[in-house]
Amino acid sequence: MSTRTIPPLTYKVVAECSVSKARAGLMTLRHSEVNTPVFMPVGTQGTLKGILPDQLIELNCQILLGNTYHLGLRPGIETLRLAGGLHKFMGWPRAILTDSGGFQMVSLLQLAEINEKGVNFRSPFDNSECMLTPEHSIQIQNAIGADIMMQLDDVVKTTTIGPRVEEAMERTIRWVDRCIEAHARDDDQSLFPIVQGGLDVPLRQRCVSALMERQVRGFAVGGLSGGESKHDFWRMVDVCTDHLPRDKPRYLMGVGFAADLVVCVALGIDMFDCVFPTRTARFGCALVDKGQLNLKQPKYKLDLEPIDKECECSTCKRYTRSYLHHIATNESVSCSLLSIHNVAYQLRLMRGMREAIERDEFPQFVSDFMGRHFGKDPIPTWIRQALKAVNIELPADEEKQDQQTKQEQEQAVEVSQTATSHTQHETYI
Amino acid sequence: MKFVIESLTKNSGRLGRLHIKDGAPGQRTPLLMQTTKGGSIPYLSADVFESHVTETPQLLELTLSTIDHMSEALAQFNSADRGLSDYIGFPGHLNVLLLRDPCETTPAGGNDRDIQPLFTRRGKESLSPKRYMEMVASLRPDIYQGLCDADTNAESAKKRVQKSVDRTEKFMHYIYEHKSKVDSTLLAPIVGGYNTFARTQSIKHALEQPSGSYGGYVFEGFHTNGLSATILDASKLLPIVEHCVGQLEEEKPRMVPGAYTPLTTLELIGLGMDLFDTSYAYCAAVNFKALTFTFVQDEVVHVPFLDITDDAIKEDFSPLLKNCVCLSCQKHTRAYVHHLYKTNELLGPILLMVHNLHHYMAFFEAIRESIARDGLPQLTELVRRQNGDSQVDYSIAPNRKVISKATMGKGFAAAAV
Repeated sequence: MSTRTIPPLTYKVVAECSVSKARAGLMTLRHSEVNTPVFMPVGTQGTLKGILPDQLIELNCQILLGNTYHLGLRPGIETLRLAGGLHKFMGWPRAILTDSGGFQMVSLLQLAEINEKGVNFRSPFDNSECMLTPEHSIQIQNAIGADIMMQLDDVVKTTTIGPRVEEAMERTIRWVDRCIEAHARDDDQSLFPIVQGGLDVPLRQRCVSALMERQVRGFAVGGLSGGESKHDFWRMVDVCTDHLPRDKPRYLMGVGFAADLVVCVALGIDMFDCVFPTRTARFGCALVDKGQLNLKQPKYKLDLEPIDKECECSTCKRYTRSYLHHIATNESVSCSLLSIHNVAYQLRLMRGMREAIERDEFPQFVSDFMGRHFGKDPIPTWIRQALKAVNIELPADEEKQDQQTKQEQEQAVEVSQTATSHTQHETYI
Repeated sequence: MKFVIESLTKNSGRLGRLHIKDGAPGQRTPLLMQTTKGGSIPYLSADVFESHVTETPQLLELTLSTIDHMSEALAQFNSADRGLSDYIGFPGHLNVLLLRDPCETTPAGGNDRDIQPLFTRRGKESLSPKRYMEMVASLRPDIYQGLCDADTNAESAKKRVQKSVDRTEKFMHYIYEHKSKVDSTLLAPIVGGYNTFARTQSIKHALEQPSGSYGGYVFEGFHTNGLSATILDASKLLPIVEHCVGQLEEEKPRMVPGAYTPLTTLELIGLGMDLFDTSYAYCAAVNFKALTFTFVQDEVVHVPFLDITDDAIKEDFSPLLKNCVCLSCQKHTRAYVHHLYKTNELLGPILLMVHNLHHYMAFFEAIRESIARDGLPQLTELVRRQNGDSQVDYSIAPNRKVISKATMGKGFAAAAV
């Protein structure tokens, strides 16, 4: 069979958790096979901060994310066309996913206005008025040539309420049809629609049903991880995965904190992306199961252990926390070293989940992970509730505290997590 | 440390082998030391360096001004079976400790009779000979340089030059007295700017010591590091070096740190200098120049650099240098490296360092081969003219271009209208 006759995306469920909605899958794209659940590191401008493509391959990274808005500005569509697409331009032989550029329009450009035609914005360079339509977004993404591309959606602030949310959801559905119509390379690239509907369960359900009527090969869940409470966050993910078809991949946009990844895999999500691992590396932070180590702290000055003894990345094999402490944020090589470790951490976490699902030991994995991640701190209520909704019961927190102080603490944790999840989405820019 | 001269020619260089540590392979001279910052090859992780530049153990040039803050940790880390190279991620590699970072201009001034200023990222530190020897004892490098005042260049007044010689003599008096407290091999500093009298004095101070007191010489005070070494006037430098060389012990290696141009490097080798560093490759990379000069005899005219900031390469999908086998040239294009420059992405200098180091190391390989077949003058001539009519300009000007938003074109906006 010639490649032309094989669809550019095939997905099959390899194993399912017998308790939760978690599943392991194999997605086959033109440039790579991708084992799901998968974390996709973000290479905004055609490069993952300070990491060579060869190093990503060594980490067994199978798919990267590129940002259409940034790539459209630099190097620009003409250059990308001449290069033969982004894969060739950046020397990355494996799969790529691009967003629609719409999110950056709204978040980076204050003057953006959205109407039925598209996103109206002022050019940041000469202040002239421009319009990004669903058709334009697809044209640009066709030139970039990513294996998976996103529809232009009508993005509203996560915390928006009222008729604007419904309008955005309805418009997103109308725009997906225009995107499908404009899509000129359906033999090579797969277009994902985006489930919108704010924090409203019926709207989310309506959106999923409408999108499922379209001929698409996978779905994205959008409009989350932007400052909403974790409570609302997991419920929306849960509603979407309840209604999305089993035989197609599901991508949750802009989520990448370890605990969120574990919960959302349990809820049935297959794909994630986030700039957090590479961004935090630039500030001298290394990811570990307990959270992150800020290596700039004086306590690491004489610490002769690697970041993580269990980690097999090239950074942990060679360098001590002490050495990294001395160069973090001072020598630019520290950014590469910590990015490598942090990407390796995310990929290892996903691999751990895949293997646990394949062995049908996922609930145990989740329980062990949460134990390591929160240590003596109480596990946040939202995580307990989300996991309980998919039949995973976590053991009770060891140190039982006075009911009132515990509640206060949990509130504090939730507030801080909401605050950090806000950054999570911001950094996605 | 042991240094064996394998072949010696009048005015066209000498080949040697430097045995730094028992068990470690001998390093062939003229030798290219790897310059480092904070113990790392600039921009490259040890893994990238060993996978994509070279697997052969190198002599790493460490600078106290970029690793002084590690001495407390190293005092704990160092043991019988692991040392400084292990700590910085390069087990099996050799190291030499210098005072100043050859990649960056060393600020002038701050000199004092009893202390030597050390310009670190955290500001100016005052280094007394005592403090210096304590740090050497903690860091335990394979080789270290003697403490010296090298704050001179071609413009220095006679008085400043004399001071640098006198203070160096005083510092070294202490170092020679206390050097038995450290195991590392000492390099005697030779200073004295561009003054033949002062240089002779400085050499005399070293020669007065018993021959086994130090293992080699390090020449400083010709420039103040950074780009200043790439623009110095070779016609002033070479006569001074020639004057000095005749007075040195033959069987001790001679180090000249700094970003000397490829042409000046060849001329220094011709005069009998042995040890150099990669700071020129670094200075080119951070100023967005890919090294393209040729050292292989052919008929084509070559240019010394490819300017990555040049908009003309925006859509040039050829490698940085035709026929180059480095990772950057094999897997990436001029257009991509230009894009990385425009977007200020860290991968840009990484790819340029991989290429420039690869190119410069191949250059040194060619130098050693040419000396072996007595062909250094021909190689020098090739590098001087690059098959063109006049001498090529290898100096590196700082890149002061500002990436203007206008040069982004209207990319996204244009496509969207």
